[in-house]
Amino acid sequence: MADGKVVKRAKYKSSVKDPGVPGVLKLTKERFFFMPNDPTSTTKLNVEFKLIKGHRSSKEGSSKQALLNLMHDQGRSYIFEFDSFPDRDKCREFVASAIAACGEVVKAASEKPAVPHDEQLSAAEMGRRIKLLQDNSELQKLHRQLVIGGILSEAEFWAARKKLLEQGDIKKPKQRVALKNDMWSVKPLSDGQTNRVTFNLTPEVIHQIFAEKPAVRQAYLKFVPGKMSEKEFWTKYSRAEYLHSTKNIVAAAAEAAEDEELAVFLKQDDMLAFEARKKIRRVDPTLDMEADEGDDYMHLPDHGLPLDETKEILEPQYEPFKRSFSQYLNQHAAVVLRGRVIDVELGDTRSVAEAFTRTNQAELAAEVSDESAYRERIAKVSRVAEIEDLQGPHEPPVALLSIKDPRDYFDSQQANAIKALGDGGTGTRQLKFNVSKEDAFCSLKNSISEINSQGLTEPIISPEVALKVLNGLSQNISSTKYHLGKNPHESVLDRLPSATKDELLLHWTSIQELLKHFWSSYPITAKYFYTKVTRLKDAMSQIYPKLQEIKESVQSDFRHQVSLLVQPMLQALDAAFAHYDADIQKRSAKSGERPNGFA
Amino acid sequence: MPQVKIVARNFMDMVASLPAVKLDMLYDNSFICEAILRSLPPLAKKYVLQLLYIDIPISAKSMEESVLPDGFSKHKVAIDRLIQLRVMTETFDRKKEAMYQLNPKFQFNLQKHIVHGGVLPREPMPSNITVRLPSLEELEAYAVEQWECFLLHLISSSEAGKTTNISSSMMKVFQRGLLSQRDEREPPRLTESGFQFLLMDTNAQLWYIIREYITNAEERGVDSADLIAFLLELSFHVTGKAYNTNTLTDIQRSITKDLSDLGLVKLQQGRKESWFIPTKLATNLSISLADTTSRKQGFIVIETNFRLYAYSTSKLHCEILRLFARVEYQLPNLIVGAITKESLYKAFQNGITAEQIISFLQQNAHPRVAERIPSVPENVTDQIRLWESDLNRVEMMPAHLYDEFPSRDVFEAACDFAREYGGLLWEDSKQMRIIVKADILTEMKEILRRQKQ
Amino acid sequence: MTPVSSKLYTDDVSLLMVLIDTNPYLWSSMKNTAFTFSKFLSHVLAFLNSILLLNQMNQVVVIATGYNSCDYVFDSSSSSMQRAECLLEKLEEFVDKDETLSQEDSVDGVGFSLLSGSLSMALCYIQRVFRTGPLHPQPRILCLHGSPDGPGQYVAVMNAIFSAQRSMVPIDSCVIGSQHSAFLQQASYITGGVYLKPQVSDGLFQYLSTVFATDLHSRAFLQLPRPVGVDFRASCFCHKNTIDMGYICSVCLSIFCKHHKKCSTCGSNFGEARKQDPSASGQRRKTPDGS
Repeated sequence: MADGKVVKRAKYKSSVKDPGVPGVLKLTKERFFFMPNDPTSTTKLNVEFKLIKGHRSSKEGSSKQALLNLMHDQGRSYIFEFDSFPDRDKCREFVASAIAACGEVVKAASEKPAVPHDEQLSAAEMGRRIKLLQDNSELQKLHRQLVIGGILSEAEFWAARKKLLEQGDIKKPKQRVALKNDMWSVKPLSDGQTNRVTFNLTPEVIHQIFAEKPAVRQAYLKFVPGKMSEKEFWTKYSRAEYLHSTKNIVAAAAEAAEDEELAVFLKQDDMLAFEARKKIRRVDPTLDMEADEGDDYMHLPDHGLPLDETKEILEPQYEPFKRSFSQYLNQHAAVVLRGRVIDVELGDTRSVAEAFTRTNQAELAAEVSDESAYRERIAKVSRVAEIEDLQGPHEPPVALLSIKDPRDYFDSQQANAIKALGDGGTGTRQLKFNVSKEDAFCSLKNSISEINSQGLTEPIISPEVALKVLNGLSQNISSTKYHLGKNPHESVLDRLPSATKDELLLHWTSIQELLKHFWSSYPITAKYFYTKVTRLKDAMSQIYPKLQEIKESVQSDFRHQVSLLVQPMLQALDAAFAHYDADIQKRSAKSGERPNGFA
Repeated sequence: MPQVKIVARNFMDMVASLPAVKLDMLYDNSFICEAILRSLPPLAKKYVLQLLYIDIPISAKSMEESVLPDGFSKHKVAIDRLIQLRVMTETFDRKKEAMYQLNPKFQFNLQKHIVHGGVLPREPMPSNITVRLPSLEELEAYAVEQWECFLLHLISSSEAGKTTNISSSMMKVFQRGLLSQRDEREPPRLTESGFQFLLMDTNAQLWYIIREYITNAEERGVDSADLIAFLLELSFHVTGKAYNTNTLTDIQRSITKDLSDLGLVKLQQGRKESWFIPTKLATNLSISLADTTSRKQGFIVIETNFRLYAYSTSKLHCEILRLFARVEYQLPNLIVGAITKESLYKAFQNGITAEQIISFLQQNAHPRVAERIPSVPENVTDQIRLWESDLNRVEMMPAHLYDEFPSRDVFEAACDFAREYGGLLWEDSKQMRIIVKADILTEMKEILRRQKQ
Repeated sequence: MTPVSSKLYTDDVSLLMVLIDTNPYLWSSMKNTAFTFSKFLSHVLAFLNSILLLNQMNQVVVIATGYNSCDYVFDSSSSSMQRAECLLEKLEEFVDKDETLSQEDSVDGVGFSLLSGSLSMALCYIQRVFRTGPLHPQPRILCLHGSPDGPGQYVAVMNAIFSAQRSMVPIDSCVIGSQHSAFLQQASYITGGVYLKPQVSDGLFQYLSTVFATDLHSRAFLQLPRPVGVDFRASCFCHKNTIDMGYICSVCLSIFCKHHKKCSTCGSNFGEARKQDPSASGQRRKTPDGS
């Protein structure tokens, strides 16, 4: 126990009657493990003490088994039978202390002393709640006010927010391990004195080489161990790398001519180019990719950029040995972005190479099998596209609307609209006026011919009138500029002092929360609801005068606006109070008949 | 080479920079008032209109009253422009508050215009004197032909089939800034601004040339204010109508000769009289002042597969397309090509930007595709932009890697030194490796040697 | 170097549809005031000239809203010069035609002019412009209206308003009569236009040039006059009461304050809404443990 670990032989049983699985029980401070003796058995255990809420043990006696029962907080229990009682007791002591320690941790983590007594919370659940509160300051304010203030219990508070909790619960997919984003992991080390150059190849490095250079991988599978040993292979590879790093293309070509295995490493990686082209071919075949041809960055050095400065005259026989830096960079980036595609221990070089080849082949196979399905899809797509093109637009079926008297619509609107303009009187006034058709049209025509003969009056408008109108308009504009409520983007709230605004908003949210709980408690079917409702009512009646205070504290020009804002809140509260009082009366009348009240 | 500003709008700056007396004289002409008004920013136009019948100064405050917060900068620009052009004068009252009043001449001319409607600058000649007047289509074709011929001459005198009457000295003036010639034997090459000039729409090109023409006017003994007045007046003539050359002054007559070479007017000679016929190019002059692009028929269709079809017979169009696309076939009325990576890189190297190419393609979209939104397929525009940004993806820089520092002190000293010289590209303090620009190799060597001692 | 402007059209090029009220009874009723039809016309003509002056590409179309019919009387894109003469000539022809269509000999009151018709014509014209391609001026409609609202036109006017709203065409209204117009007030409110009733009638030109000449582009930067407020609460069809909540026919959108079996406007039968039994639908609530 001193080292914080206890290991005992024990049998694991799912119930007391179960004969049990023999194995080894290992206890540490945080968790316990059970390893069955039979390695094929599936009853391995690995449980955290955090999740254990208690333990029981059988009484000591010669005829009885030495049992220890650890109770999981989800109702399960783990029963272990020990060889002897002293063993069991030792474990029991350890478990007791471990559970106690874990309990403290949980408490410390929760930070909130208000963890309700009536609730068993898993640590995960707790963590989620804490995280939600941390993320959402508004919620935190509400929580502090209502739960810590004792108006609502923790459970009640969260019960209304189950959705919120579930959202956070969505499991994130396991992160895939990526490759190191390091290109120069193979670096020749020269000791400076001799001509020897040393390469350090770790399994990690080899993995990267295989991932980035399929040709090397293929060569490895081909040559090792048949043609040469692993060491010889890597020496050759290193030599090729070294030749490249010295940028001595001519020397590289010369060596390649002598040694055909070495040539594999020195030449451009054909497989890469092949793969890149294959990727482009995978695009929807109806697309003409001619313009993108240069985009695989493979068949053109420096991705097609003519760089005059670096133009070197090379004889065609050396051409395959030229490598471009950009190509390296692209390939490296592609591999790093793809991440670790194989899941093999890195120690064995051969298995790594094989695994790579396997994944490649799997991809290929998948492609081939997809081929027919793919064709089908293409055919379908083009068929659908064609027909859609030729069809007319879809019109929903039309039913004629028969309206008996459209005047009704007008009447329902007009009175209000005119009233809003401020002179309801003139809106409905019918002009007392009667003129014959001939007179009317005649005078109209006279006006037209008048202007036709005389031309426009000059000036159109006298400067005095113009000025009067202009001033009138700009006055109108400046007076309506700050008129509230017309602009949807600005509300009264924005123009209040920010302290008042925050206070109002806070009250608004808490009132909403309280009301939600208040109304959801009706009808009162249990005493619990009754106490809750009383509690809520008290809390609400405390807010009521605060709202009145706010209303009176603001400046007189805002008072009307604020009271407009506060009014619905007060109304909602009033409704709740009224309902509460009515309910109490009904209840007391009933309880007269039924003295037991609510049982 | 001074930076050439190729924006037609700057013409108005030129007008604004005229001395006050000359400017006021210009406003005697109601056509100039009209043209100036049309060149103003929209808000300024509105202000002029609302003050049209006000004969006393209006306080700046009351004008700001109706400006929303978002529009304040626009308001400022508008007011500044009005004052700059002396359309509005600023005075200060006793309380030192700014007051604005319209220029009375300007105001009077506009009032007259509003009552009487537009009046023609000069009466067209009766049709019994003028014979074989060209139809509007013929006139347009003539204008386009003249203009393109001029442009071809401008970029390369060898390509143009027809000769132009514009004197070579004048041509030199126009070519200034657009072409550069390294030495006498080599043909002149288009400069960056030259390429951009070609991609502009006709009106902008026209204004560029006109601007050059006006700035050059004094050398030819022509008053620039007179020239401006005449050009603006010309734009109010009716396209396709014949006007007697006798109504022109001598200077104006010589100007019309130059303008006919540009395709702005067509000159015709009758039995006794001679007359000039303004083309659309001339009447568009005042429209394009307010940076409008004319409603020109586009001719380019781009497909999503980067193929380009240009329905054009113009040699100039072909030349322009060649700037950024691979022209594959040339049929009598159709140019077929493709936009490829290689062709675009060529364009980028010449200093043409992706945005210019895209806006050229959009502005010249064939009416059949212009109705679509977007008129140029999105994948093509995106790809053009991507290819441009590709150029900036990898930057090669010669550098040296230093490692195996004897101690951390040496390493840090080297780091600091390299940083000070701005040559530090990368450092790995864990393994004590740094990469330093090759430029400061000798200095680095020096510092390392000193550290060793 | 400034890149080539990618804008296809300047901001302030406008297509202005002007609807002028030529209701003869209206103008006869105003004969004795200072503001006669000829005065009105001269202000409008000056306004048209000033709009066309602002930008060479601006286009103005005038539609006369008559008592029995309406028609296009002027289109700046087809007539180049002598605008006033051209317009007046067409207007005279129109009034003649309108008179021959008239059947009754006299009208009680001022009568209604055919606003719905002219609004629809304006919208049709705008639609035609829209279909010419992506290069078109920014359209807006200006109603210079004086006649009272015709209840019979309600549905047609509202339809026109909504289609204007859908095609983003603002309807400006300048009321020249003595009374406000609920139609135009709604039209302007819904389409984002300006509703204005000039206080000084012989200053009409100043109102037009200050407020209604503002192009749509500039409106983003300017505060134009706006009415104090619009009350959109409806009255029910059955009792004409103003209501906040009510029943609405799902077919014709008539409003009722009570539930009816059948819509009185369009005759649709209303199905009986099934009452939900709260005890059956609600799940039993659980009290938290420990209570």
